[in-house]
Amino acid sequence: MKRALITMSYFIFLCFSLMLATGEPDETQAQRIVKKIDELYRSTSSKALMEMEIITPHWQRTLEIRAWSEGMEKTFMRILEPKKERGMATLRIGNEMWNYLPKTNKVIKIPPSMMMGSWMGSDFTNDDLVKEFTFFNDYDFEMTTVNQAQTGALYVKCIPKENVPVVWGYVLLAVRADDYLPLWEKFYDEEGELVREMLFKEIKRFGQRAIPSVMELIPRQKQGQKTIIRYLEAQFDIALSQDIFSLRNLRAE
Amino acid sequence: MWLYIKLAWRNIFRNKRRTVIASTAIGIALACLLFFDSFIIGLEHNMIASATSSFLGHAQIHRQEFRHTQEPAYTINNPDQIMQSLKQETIVEAYTPRTLSIGMITSAANLNSVLIVGVDPQAEKAVSKVDDAVRKGDFFKGQKPQDIVIGSELAEILEVSLGERVVLTLAQAESGDLSQDMFRVSGIYHFGVREMDSGMVFIHIKKAQDMLNISGQVHEIAIKFKSLQYASDDNLAFWSKYSHNGNEALSWGELLPDLKGVFEMTGVFRSVMSLLLMFVVIFGIVNTLFMSLYERMFELGVLRAVGTRPWGVMKLMICESGALAVLSIAVGLFLGLIITGLFTITGIDYRGIEFAGSVIQEVVFPVMKPFQFIIYPIGLLLFMVLVGLYPAVVAARMSIADAIRKSL
Amino acid sequence: MIMRMAFRNIFRQKRRTLLTVLSMFGGMVMAVVFIGWADGSYNNIIDNFTRYNFGHIQIHKEDYLDRPSLYKTIDDYSSIEKILRNNPHIDSWAPRLYSVGLVSVREKSSGARIIGIDTEKENQTTAFNKKITAGKGFSDESAYEVIIGKGLAKILGAGVDDSIVIVSQAADGSIANDRYTIVGIVDTGNEIADRSSFYLPLESAQELLVLYGRVHEVAITAKNLHNVLPVTNQLQDSLADSKLTVASWQEFASSFYMAMKADMEGLWISIFIIVLIVSVGVFNTVLMSVLERVREYGVLKAVGTKPGQIIKLVLAEVNIMAFFSILLGIIVGYIFNYLLSTHGITLAEGFSYGGMEFKVMKAEINARSFYIPALTVLLSSFIIGLFPSLKAAHTDPAKSMRFH
Repeated sequence: MKRALITMSYFIFLCFSLMLATGEPDETQAQRIVKKIDELYRSTSSKALMEMEIITPHWQRTLEIRAWSEGMEKTFMRILEPKKERGMATLRIGNEMWNYLPKTNKVIKIPPSMMMGSWMGSDFTNDDLVKEFTFFNDYDFEMTTVNQAQTGALYVKCIPKENVPVVWGYVLLAVRADDYLPLWEKFYDEEGELVREMLFKEIKRFGQRAIPSVMELIPRQKQGQKTIIRYLEAQFDIALSQDIFSLRNLRAE
Repeated sequence: MWLYIKLAWRNIFRNKRRTVIASTAIGIALACLLFFDSFIIGLEHNMIASATSSFLGHAQIHRQEFRHTQEPAYTINNPDQIMQSLKQETIVEAYTPRTLSIGMITSAANLNSVLIVGVDPQAEKAVSKVDDAVRKGDFFKGQKPQDIVIGSELAEILEVSLGERVVLTLAQAESGDLSQDMFRVSGIYHFGVREMDSGMVFIHIKKAQDMLNISGQVHEIAIKFKSLQYASDDNLAFWSKYSHNGNEALSWGELLPDLKGVFEMTGVFRSVMSLLLMFVVIFGIVNTLFMSLYERMFELGVLRAVGTRPWGVMKLMICESGALAVLSIAVGLFLGLIITGLFTITGIDYRGIEFAGSVIQEVVFPVMKPFQFIIYPIGLLLFMVLVGLYPAVVAARMSIADAIRKSL
Repeated sequence: MIMRMAFRNIFRQKRRTLLTVLSMFGGMVMAVVFIGWADGSYNNIIDNFTRYNFGHIQIHKEDYLDRPSLYKTIDDYSSIEKILRNNPHIDSWAPRLYSVGLVSVREKSSGARIIGIDTEKENQTTAFNKKITAGKGFSDESAYEVIIGKGLAKILGAGVDDSIVIVSQAADGSIANDRYTIVGIVDTGNEIADRSSFYLPLESAQELLVLYGRVHEVAITAKNLHNVLPVTNQLQDSLADSKLTVASWQEFASSFYMAMKADMEGLWISIFIIVLIVSVGVFNTVLMSVLERVREYGVLKAVGTKPGQIIKLVLAEVNIMAFFSILLGIIVGYIFNYLLSTHGITLAEGFSYGGMEFKVMKAEINARSFYIPALTVLLSSFIIGLFPSLKAAHTDPAKSMRFH
């Protein structure tokens, strides 16, 4: 009798640990990974100096931009270089967006019809800058593997939820196993074709955070085209004056 | 008078051959005119139908400012009341409400600017032919709010096929706030008109109203009348009835002034054709009557000699023209009815012109109208009598001696 | 011998001849005028519509028409100009530069289509200056002036002398933006286009978009609508090596073409009916003339004329009359059509199509307005003369002489 009881508890214990090992834990890991990605570049506030290099089959340019953000609602960007664009600024509050053009001294509100257009000729759209893009809320995820997997990397497959205004069939995320910092994101259409790829490189420490300082966005279906963003300086969770996110500030400088 | 008519009738049958030939010729010409008229009307109907039935409708109601500004805030005033009223209208066969807004559609591969039309599928089917133009998928059979029907060109540009995701972005009415939603391609249509196939997308009207934040409101009500002629009738009470309270009701002619122009041009052609017919008739009748005159010169001379007054001879000749006319008309009407009637059933096949996709009736059905069978014959009769006046006068004015001498 | 007899017979029966000739002649003239006038009106509409809107022929780089791109430019405009100048059938041409951008006047903004035009050439080719409804044209080719479509003016709440700003992307990737003064408002008749059209002088546009010396399109008008297809082919040959595509209006304005084609089909049916009516008229008179003389033919047979000769005689008479009427018909018809082609018939109420007003319907002088009626009269008289004469030729003379 005693023997049976011990075997039974052993058995129950085994089942229990098996359960823990397979089902839930993996999902939580995926969620954890995604959460980290979402919050990587976000904070209650931020201020950064970055370089955007745009390469197209017809031309190449590098812009130097100073950017401020507050939460997910407000963003302000000012172009410092090159000379032709110096002083141009973009303000985003909620769903609305304005551009300032120093040459003509004009503030133009971007109509929704132009929101899907590219921001300043890059591969990022106005929409990209505006949308409250969260992987966490908009997708379902599962851990997965890929061909030619790197050692020390983890892979997550994100499938958009049904009613979310997202065009992708699914997104693959690759992160470092130890600190969950992103290695790349690949965006696929519903037929499984790779449409867009974002590479994360050169991890640097900015204040308390370690983040990839270089993001390379490569549209796979257009030849010879990509946009590279390099963070030169960045400060997170600092106090920012509210005046920054105002139409008046667009004209200042 | 009756004597003259009897005489005239008998006279024309004296030379059967000539009478038969002349009346047949004129009759054929009349039949041609009848056929042509019906054909042109059928052609016009075809033109209008092609242009309006694919999407436009015979008439549309909008808020007055909407057409020029295209602002989504300008929705129709009292739409429900209007639609209720339309239901009672005897001349209206069907009507359908729509929302119209310009926005962007994006897919994984590409993006495009589009006209977003919110439709009520059941009502829409009764008025336009979009459902017929759907080549893949269906026209909202499934009733899912995320259904979207796009054109074939657009599907190519966006590189999407049935079931795939697209995102629509538009500005809400009034506030201009961004509204974005995901849809799945549930149908792909092909009209054969590039602007439509690449620029128009259809979604459920309720969904559109939600996105635009104009619940219960619409931008356009498209109407199909029981018969095309109501749409072409500018004097209809319908127009003023629905053009008040800030709204306007417009016919296809006002919505498509270009088409109306072509329409009018064909009207001119019709008049010219009738004119042509008249000329043929002149040569047919005058010819015949003169010939009959000269052959019977002696006879007419005798008639005059025994006391018939010049006016009497003239009356006789006029009656003969009339008699010939009546005979020709009979022939013409008979032939015309048969030929036109035949084509009304079989139609005339155009060499397959593709216009607005599946919609164009490649077959033109002539349209017979009662007025054709009344006005044209009466006109012909009057005309023939008029033309017959000339030989009649000549006959009357001839001196008796000349007449008797001129006999062959 | 037969011809002499035929001529004599004709002049013997003046009345009969006159009536027969008259009906043939009348039919000829009617048909000539109708066809010339119908063709003229249709072609007039097509010509005006294409000429004043997009030109008869357009040249682009590769597949610019289907998939437009800022970078698909025509780079060697001057050598194309040389080719165009040397072609005698070409009336005029105009270069254009296109892009899209965001325009703003005060607080309102809207998407717009940027169109860079060469004022002088554009006026010559599409009568652009005639479509300006307010303000005036550009003062020079590099001025900071714009002309906007009337729909766009309404959307922006803008008018002449207002300042307008545009943002777009230049060909070198930089952000193109500048401020201009609205000097004119244009109404091209195309409402949809006018809601977004933003015209700049060509050089200003080239500067804005950093596309110096380049254009996207050359629109060409031919002297005569009938020359369009041959000229298109000629240009395609001359430009075969370059990566340029030459397209005629039938290709780039295909929905208009389809609509016109449908109309043309209707026209064919009308012409057919006209022809039918004319033949019937001719049948009528010729038949009567011939039948009247059956007795005569009987006599001829009785005195020994061979059947073949009788047929020949009849046909000779009919044909002589036909030829004469046709000739006269052509002359008179030509005069009528000439008058109609220069003055036309003014409609009581003009109609508009594609933004153009049509008040006068003109005829045109073309081959088919003459050969179709001529053929009709000839054939109908021939056929209708043939049967009774055949009959007369082979009937017993006694019977013929008794014919009435």
